[in-house]
Amino acid sequence: MLTALAACGAVTAFVAGIAGAWSPCGLSMIDTIGSALGDTRRAPRLIAVSTFCLGAVLGGVITFGALALLGSLFGDRSGAVRAGIGGAVALAAAVADWRGLRIAPQIRRQVPERWRWIMPLPLACALYGVLLGLGFTTFVLAFAVWALAALSVAAGSIAVGISVGVAFGIGRAIPIVWLAPGVGSERGARRLEQIALEPRLLLGTRRLGAIGLALCAAAFAATPAFGHETRPSLTTVATAATDPTSNGSDLAWQTVGGGGMIEIQGTAARALPGELPALGGSNVAWVSGATIVVADAASLAPEVTLPIPPATTVSTLAVSDSWLVANLLPSAGGDQLVAYSLADPTAAPKTIATAAFAGAIGRPALTTSDVVFALGGSRGSAIDEIDLNTATKTVLRSVKANYSLENPVLTGDNDLLYEQIGRCAQSVYIGSTSGKRPTARLLSLPSTVIRDPGYQPGYVRDYDQASHCPNRGTGPGAKRTLGTTAVGTSTLYVTEYPRAPARSTIVALALKS
Amino acid sequence: MPPERSISGGVLQHSNRRGFLERVGAAVVALAGAKTIADLAAPGEADAEYYTNFCGHTYTTGNCPAPTGLPRIDRNGFPLRAKDGVPVDDLGRPVNAKDQPIDAHGKLLLQPDGTPVTPAPRTRTCQTAGHDYGIELNLDGSWYRCCGGVIRRIRDCCGFTNTRINGDAALTGYCYTGRHVFCVTYEETTVKC
Repeated sequence: MLTALAACGAVTAFVAGIAGAWSPCGLSMIDTIGSALGDTRRAPRLIAVSTFCLGAVLGGVITFGALALLGSLFGDRSGAVRAGIGGAVALAAAVADWRGLRIAPQIRRQVPERWRWIMPLPLACALYGVLLGLGFTTFVLAFAVWALAALSVAAGSIAVGISVGVAFGIGRAIPIVWLAPGVGSERGARRLEQIALEPRLLLGTRRLGAIGLALCAAAFAATPAFGHETRPSLTTVATAATDPTSNGSDLAWQTVGGGGMIEIQGTAARALPGELPALGGSNVAWVSGATIVVADAASLAPEVTLPIPPATTVSTLAVSDSWLVANLLPSAGGDQLVAYSLADPTAAPKTIATAAFAGAIGRPALTTSDVVFALGGSRGSAIDEIDLNTATKTVLRSVKANYSLENPVLTGDNDLLYEQIGRCAQSVYIGSTSGKRPTARLLSLPSTVIRDPGYQPGYVRDYDQASHCPNRGTGPGAKRTLGTTAVGTSTLYVTEYPRAPARSTIVALALKS
Repeated sequence: MPPERSISGGVLQHSNRRGFLERVGAAVVALAGAKTIADLAAPGEADAEYYTNFCGHTYTTGNCPAPTGLPRIDRNGFPLRAKDGVPVDDLGRPVNAKDQPIDAHGKLLLQPDGTPVTPAPRTRTCQTAGHDYGIELNLDGSWYRCCGGVIRRIRDCCGFTNTRINGDAALTGYCYTGRHVFCVTYEETTVKC
C-alpha cells in the first residue's frame, strides 16, 4: 500500500537528510548558527536554529512534493511503468549506498556565504535551511537523495511526497540542532571533530539509508495501486446473493429472487422476515410488504415501522442509529432518495435526491448521518455525500465522460471506497473523501462489453492504439460485472454477477493484512 | 438564345458532315470528362490499398478513442457500435433513446436485485478525445467514400493543434483554416453506392 511506501520513504529521507550533515554546507551551518556571528547569547542561537529547521522542512516539501505532483500528472495508467522505474532506482541506489560508492553526479555548489553578513541571522538561516532542504541545490552525499526523488515521482502521491520532504528536512536539521548550540564548548567541538573525522559514521548512515531504500523497492512491488491487473485473493461469502451490507461485526444480504439473510457475529446465516436488508450502527432494516421495518440488529426485535408511500416500490435501503435512507421508485417513473429520522419516525421524510428514471440514483450507504450515493446519467457521473443533520451536500467525485462511478461506501476512517467502470476496466478504488484522486486500486477486472479489434480486416493497420485496451483484447471481456458493495471492519464485500443473475455471488477482500 | 446553341446551329447550317464529326467528338470528350469527374468524385477503388484501419480513411492519422474500438459515430458525433450501428454509452454498453443501458433484446439492463443499472455518461467521441488529451476538438470537414455498398462519411476531429494522436505532426486534412486533424471518426450514411 502507499502508506507503506510513505513510511519507508520518510524513514529513508530522514536518514538521507542526516547524511547531509557531512556536506560542506551542513558543516558550515553548524558554525554559522553555533557562533551566531560572534553573538554568544542563547536566544539568537535558538531563533536561528528554529528558522533553519522550518526552512529545511519547507525546502524538502517543495522538492519532493513537487516531484510527487509531477508524478501524479501521469495518471494511473502509467502506474506500472512508474512503479518499475521507482523500484529499480531505489534498489540500484541501495546497492550503491551500501557499498559507499562515490556520489555521482557531483554537485559542488554551496549556499551563498554573503547572506550571513547582509541579512538578519534568523532570515539568513531560514533561507539556508530552504536551500539545504531542497536537496539538489547543494552537495549531495548519498544516492538515497536521487532515489527519493525517483520514488516521489513514481508514487505520484502528494502525501508520499510531503512525508518524504518533511522527513528529509527534519533529517537535515537534526545534526545542526544537536551540534550548533554547543559549538563554542569543548564538548561541542569534540562532537564536531568526531563527525568531521570519522568517515565510518557517514558510511553507516548511508547503509541505514540503503536498508530503507530496499524496503521502498519491496513496497513498490507490493503496492496494488501499481499492479497492471489487481485480482487479489477473494473469498466467496454467499452465492445467489447480492446487495451486501455490514455494520462491522454483522453481515446481511439479499438472496436473488428471495428474501434477506443475516449473519450475526459470524454465526450461521439465517433468513430475515423481509427483503432488501440494510445494517448500520445497532440497527437492521428490511422491507416487509408495504412497510419498512427497523429492528435491533442483535435480537431482530422491531423498533420502528415506516409505511412505504402508495404507488411506490423500494429498491434499496441504508440505515444507521439515527437515520434510514430509502431509494424509492414511483410507479409513475423517476427515482427518489428519501431520509427518515429514526429519532422522530412520525416526521415527514426528507427527499434528498431525485432523478428522471429508475436506476439513475445508485444504492446509498450510510454512516451515522452521512449518506453517500452515486448519481449517473448521460451527462456525467458523480458520487455525492449529504450530511442529513445539516442537509449539506458535497460532491466527492465526479466525471463528465469515459467512466461511471458507482456503489460508494465510507469506511470508519472516512475513506471512500467506490467502483470506477470504464470501457476497458472495472475497478474498486479507495481514497480519502477530501481528495479527488484515489490512493489505491484494490480490485480490477476487464470490462464486460464486446470490443472490436479497432481496425477493419483487409486494410492497412496502423496508428490504432487509441482503439485498444491494454488490459484486454477483442470480443467479450470479463464474464463478471462488479456490483454493489459494503465495508466491514477490515473487509470489503463486493457483488460479482455474470449474465445470469441467479449466479451472483458476494466476495470478500481483506482491506488490512 | 444561349451562345453555345447559336454556335452549334451555325455549324449545322454550314456542313452536315462536319457537324456530325463535331457531335461525335463532343460525345467522346463528354464521356472522357465524365469518367475523369467520376474518378474524382467516386470512391477510388484504387485507393483501397491505402485505407488505414478502416475503409475510406486515407493517410495515417490514428483513430479517435471510442467505447467499443472503431470510432464510428452518429450524425451528432455520439458513439455507435461499429458492427451494427447500435448506440453505446462511454463504457461501450448499448443504450436506448434515453441513454439507459439495455441488453441484446432491448430491455433495460438489470442488476441481480432487479434494479436498472446506473446509466453512464454518453459523450461525443471527438470532444471527449479532446477532453482526454487536454485540447478543444470539434468535427470540422468530411469526405465521402463508398464502403460496403453504402456511402461512408469520414469525419476529421480537428483542433488548433500541431500534434496528432499518433504523437507526430498533424495534417490539415479536411479541417478548417488554421486547424489540424487530431484523430479520425466515421459515420455511415444510408445512401447506397
